[in-house]
Amino acid sequence: MVDLTQYLPILIFLVIALGLSGLFVFLPMGVSRLTGAHKPSKDKLAEYECGFPAFEDSRHQFDVRFYLVAILFIIFDLEAAFLFPWAVSLDLTGWAGWITMMVFLGELLIGFAYAWKKGALEWE
Amino acid sequence: MELKQSLGLIAPEILLSIASLVLLLVSAWAGDKASRAISVVACFVLGACFFIVAPTVCAGVAGPDVVAFNGLFTADAFSGFAKLLIFAATGAALVMAPKFFERTNSMMPEFPVLILLAALGMCLMVSATDLMTLYIGLELNSLASYVLAAFLRNDERSAEAGIKYFVLGALASGILLFGMSLTYGFTGSTDFGTVRAALTGDMSTGAMFAVVFVLAGLAFKISAVPFHMWTPDVYEGSPTPVTAFFATAPKVAAVSLLMRVSLDAFGMQADAWRQIVLFVALASIVVGALGAIGQSNIKRLMAFSSINNVGFILIGLVTGTVQGASAMLVYLAIYIAMTAGSFLAIIMMKDEAGAPVEKISDIAGLSRTKPALALCLAMMMFSLAGIPPLFGFWGKFVVFQAAVEANLVALAAIGIAASVIGAFYYLKIVKVMYFDEPADVVKGQSDWAHWALLIISTAFISPLGYLLTTWLGGIADKAAATLFLVAA
Amino acid sequence: MIHTIAFYIFAAMVIASGALVITARNPVHSVLWLILAFFNAAGLMVLVGAEFIAMLLVIVYVGAVAVLFLFVVMMLEIDFAEMRAGFVKYFPLGVLLALILVSEMILGIGAYSAGSMHLGTADGVGTPLMGESNIRSIGALLYGRYLFLFESAGLVLLVAMVGAIVLTHRERGTVRGHQNINKQVRRRPGDATVNTRPEVGKGIEL
Repeated sequence: MVDLTQYLPILIFLVIALGLSGLFVFLPMGVSRLTGAHKPSKDKLAEYECGFPAFEDSRHQFDVRFYLVAILFIIFDLEAAFLFPWAVSLDLTGWAGWITMMVFLGELLIGFAYAWKKGALEWE
Repeated sequence: MELKQSLGLIAPEILLSIASLVLLLVSAWAGDKASRAISVVACFVLGACFFIVAPTVCAGVAGPDVVAFNGLFTADAFSGFAKLLIFAATGAALVMAPKFFERTNSMMPEFPVLILLAALGMCLMVSATDLMTLYIGLELNSLASYVLAAFLRNDERSAEAGIKYFVLGALASGILLFGMSLTYGFTGSTDFGTVRAALTGDMSTGAMFAVVFVLAGLAFKISAVPFHMWTPDVYEGSPTPVTAFFATAPKVAAVSLLMRVSLDAFGMQADAWRQIVLFVALASIVVGALGAIGQSNIKRLMAFSSINNVGFILIGLVTGTVQGASAMLVYLAIYIAMTAGSFLAIIMMKDEAGAPVEKISDIAGLSRTKPALALCLAMMMFSLAGIPPLFGFWGKFVVFQAAVEANLVALAAIGIAASVIGAFYYLKIVKVMYFDEPADVVKGQSDWAHWALLIISTAFISPLGYLLTTWLGGIADKAAATLFLVAA
Repeated sequence: MIHTIAFYIFAAMVIASGALVITARNPVHSVLWLILAFFNAAGLMVLVGAEFIAMLLVIVYVGAVAVLFLFVVMMLEIDFAEMRAGFVKYFPLGVLLALILVSEMILGIGAYSAGSMHLGTADGVGTPLMGESNIRSIGALLYGRYLFLFESAGLVLLVAMVGAIVLTHRERGTVRGHQNINKQVRRRPGDATVNTRPEVGKGIEL
């Protein structure tokens, strides 16, 4: 059985985070209603000038470049995820483990250099 | 110390990975104009790997000395033999590609890099002695293959081929993984040797499921019936050099992998998988032969031809003997020469503007406009049909001989009967080329490299090939014997 | 006690959000429910002691895969009316498949608990190290015994990266000029203006 008490800080953190974010959202709404400043109009509810329209058909076509960025992100995210067990077990794996990770990072670094040079990281 | 020895055993794989990484960087900096140079370098790298592996095959190395990384990987003569075929077929695909893509300005320097990485994946597949190595090798090869299938990304058919291959390949990987997890569950190990030891005696139903799922997943990769449905579409849609690649190197890798898995990991349960393989073999032969008859696109026809040939190769596996395994290796060697040669001839058929000609009706009367090309293609077709003086006959002969000696006379008889049906469509192409009114479509000139390769492969499958039978048979026997060492 | 409660909370949440994934009208909402399902699955993983998997679920699945799903959902122009028609059409097939899976599970678990299914005994290669955390045991195996597979997996990732770039990246004809501040500062009026005295009716050549 896992000792769940070690996760207590995370639970507390989650509760506080949820509480605070809820507070930030609902407190102004409540205050504005109480003070009588709550007078929604068409202009007030419209989206800001920049960014995507807030309410639109979700079938809006995105640029395929979003997808490329997401794929690259997944790959480097996985790479980062592999670093955690490596870092905590380095005393068990020794130099072989260290070199292994350096080779792995090297492989992906070459991929990164390739992506950069190709302009896959550039937006325009 | 152990690690150093292991690294020595994977020398060809290390060379392939370093070469592909360096070439990737070169391709980013040098740009599209370096594609041809990178292809040439990639060919040389494959050649170097070939010469690293060749001595181990000739020596017939085997046993615990060539097992690397605590039993994850083996560099025995069997894997070596498969690797030699893979390097040769991959090299052929690299020679075919530049000219084909340059016409539409779609040659990219990543092509040879991806081909090298796919070859690396195949090396891992044939050397795998652990389910995890098997899976990583398979995925490395598949992932590169999906990209290669869709390489002409502005071409709708190529994109369709890529997506079809990807979706069905992912499904096959899922099935394979499920089978592998069941295997682990019922044997407690992913190592082939331990799995083999755990699967002795009566097999539980669950373990039976494991065997079935693993075989089904692998059958997808070799496009054996009933898992062949992706093959015609993918072969037709992919760029022709990529189709040539798919029809040769990955077939060798997946068949060798299937051999090792069934004879080694599931070797003690031969009765369990033999019926499955028997059915798959016969169904592939029949579907391949019948499906090809109505085709009007020559690449689709070649797809059915490859399904048909996989059926013949699997007959060798049904026997489960050293002789059968050796016959499979011989067949594979001849098969890749025939298939690569046929695709070379297909690539060399171009119309006036240099666009590829794929319709069978367009090659009518080719013997009068391009006699040399027609002769080569006709020899390939005769050889694929297994008509005696050509070398293709020898492959079928050794497989049937192994079947007869394993007391599978009925199977051999059905196989021979089906190969007669299969001969029909190969001969139809010869008839169209030699006896029909010239359609006068094929006019384009071809590269000297294509001609050279076509002549080499034609010479190999010509009756001259019989000079090699003793030598080829000897090496294949040695390689196949290493596969059975674990049984002893 | 707390384990049991936590398990039921997480399990119920996973199933509920899983159901909402397929019933939500808006596909973006589906993805958001999927994220909730991932979070709760991570909670379940923590309960069985697979902390590294739990972390991977949060970092990789929630952080990256779900984002990719979101992009894909937004990028593909899916006709939902048509998809719903397909849903009705294939509903019996789906139910059949679900029934098969459920019966498989019941049979499997039933046979296992009745003792008639003999699983293999693990070969001990992957046994967790005594007194070490889950993540340290994984690290010791992954970068020790299985380092060869780890490097190969790195190459798989590289192929994925190269493949994505090859298939989707397009060279843009006009590259946007980059601002060179140094050049701007060094620019003098003399570089930008020219004094000429054109003859009447001739115009100037610039």
